[in-house]
Amino acid sequence: MVTKRTVRKVVEPDMTPMIDCTFQLITFFMIVSNFEQTKADERVKLPADMLAKPPAVARRNELVVNVGYKRNSTGAAVDPDPFVFWNGDESTRVFDMQRNFQREARLTAAKEGKDKVKDTVITLRADEEVPVGLVQELIRQAQEAGYTSFSFKARNEEAGE
Amino acid sequence: MSRRGESFQKVDVPMAPMIDVVFQLLIFFMLTLRIVAAEGDFNINMPIGTVASSSDELPPLDVKVRLVANPDGSLQQLQFGGRELGNDFPVCFERLNQEIAVIAGRGKQAVDDVVVEIDSDYGLHYKYVLRAVSACAGRFDPKTGGRVTYIENIKLTPPHRPE
Repeated sequence: MVTKRTVRKVVEPDMTPMIDCTFQLITFFMIVSNFEQTKADERVKLPADMLAKPPAVARRNELVVNVGYKRNSTGAAVDPDPFVFWNGDESTRVFDMQRNFQREARLTAAKEGKDKVKDTVITLRADEEVPVGLVQELIRQAQEAGYTSFSFKARNEEAGE
Repeated sequence: MSRRGESFQKVDVPMAPMIDVVFQLLIFFMLTLRIVAAEGDFNINMPIGTVASSSDELPPLDVKVRLVANPDGSLQQLQFGGRELGNDFPVCFERLNQEIAVIAGRGKQAVDDVVVEIDSDYGLHYKYVLRAVSACAGRFDPKTGGRVTYIENIKLTPPHRPE
């Protein structure tokens, strides 16, 4: 049997459009990536408000306190009482935060001086369904540790939303 | 200037390592991406010495906003001074915003002297208090897309623990 000799060619696909698209994707993800919100806890459902705009300048001395509920996969609270999500510890109750505030205040005073404790802003990221009395209890405990400036976080709600 | 006898050859730059690295970067950014809504904040200054312990100690220019809660944590009544503004959330807070706008319209000097004290029941959901803080702080200006500030001195009362 006689077969015709075939000439084999190396197929070289044009990679340029794929590389173009890939670089576009990388640029997009680099721009939209946000590495600053590391202290935010996703379990906390913040209340929404139209006036809540991100600050123009990031605060230097800030202590973020997340207060929320432990939730299951459907988003329902598994415990009726809220927790403070603090330094990776998920079992801190609101009334146990006194010693944490005092420890942070002592640390700040030792590192930067006592005046810096008053300059530190306690940023409260509280779930919208947390009883406000517990938020007030947190403020009271922080006041007793020497903090005087507080800020309430809210999710930005667009006009007409 | 070309030299005699020189022949040009096509140089194949190996693209495979670059594509590997590019895909690694792409996967990294895709996995680390967290889509979060923009967050803003409301500032409240509460030095421990200025916390009011009872309404008798308030100076005359203090404005009191009272929020009464239902047993389930919802809003039962919003009060501004002695007047009831209702409980139809969020419209009642727009009424509060209009009341505060009247005070803010008296001029900057008058506004600087005003302190709004928000007094709420212990079990009220936090979102109502935050909405009250927002209604006192200012209003959204659709033309500029920014905030028109009304009152900057806003504070919360100490907690009233249920007996």
